Amino acid sequence: MLAFRSEAHVNRWCERTGLPKGASFSLETAWRLADAWYRDRLSPSWRRRTPEEARAVFDGLGLTGDFWRLT
Amino acid sequence: MVLALLGARVGSRAVELDDRVRLVLYERFVETGVPPSAAEVAAEVGLGAEEAEAAYRRLADAHVIVLMPGTTELWMAAPLSGVPTAFRVETPTGSFWGNCIWDALGTIAMLGGRGTVETGCPDCDEPLTIRVEAGELAEGDGLAHFAVPVARWWDNIGFT
Repeated sequence: MLAFRSEAHVNRWCERTGLPKGASFSLETAWRLADAWYRDRLSPSWRRRTPEEARAVFDGLGLTGDFWRLT
Repeated sequence: MVLALLGARVGSRAVELDDRVRLVLYERFVETGVPPSAAEVAAEVGLGAEEAEAAYRRLADAHVIVLMPGTTELWMAAPLSGVPTAFRVETPTGSFWGNCIWDALGTIAMLGGRGTVETGCPDCDEPLTIRVEAGELAEGDGLAHFAVPVARWWDNIGFT
């Protein structure tokens, strides 16, 4: 999970490394995902999300499709 | 029936213990910026070192933390990395390494929503600065790219 300057840089890096392209999205969305996922990590009541809860986080940010399926 | 109840009680005690170990582990990591050993956590929680190591292993099995292969040394207590990475995070609480761009931003989220991630574009090596102020992205042109589909993250959590 890396940060790139633009889509063109992602594409060039994938070509050079031979890695298939995964999912790319704005750093704004990445921040919202990080905030939703980790904001409560130091809470005593924290527990791992269920697959349904994780899916709800992804769906809420428009991160949908096969790439984001949990199983 | 009695054995089943006993098993449930022992299981619930282990979960309670693991919760305490998890909390202390994270507290120490955030305080010092360095991943605490099981022995350090054991001393604080009032456990034997072996009990704390067993708790570390259970937390790793539950995908709460990641240990260095074949050891009980912390590699990741997400979003924090126990080893230097390409994602340096500066927050008012302290400086940390994030495991990836998601975790680097997650470190800021976990510590109050203010901080900066310094990384570089893997394609061209140009530095990238991403800044969060008051819970909002304040600086950060660019994209995040996740290479591995979600269902395969735990096949190799070191490469996602």
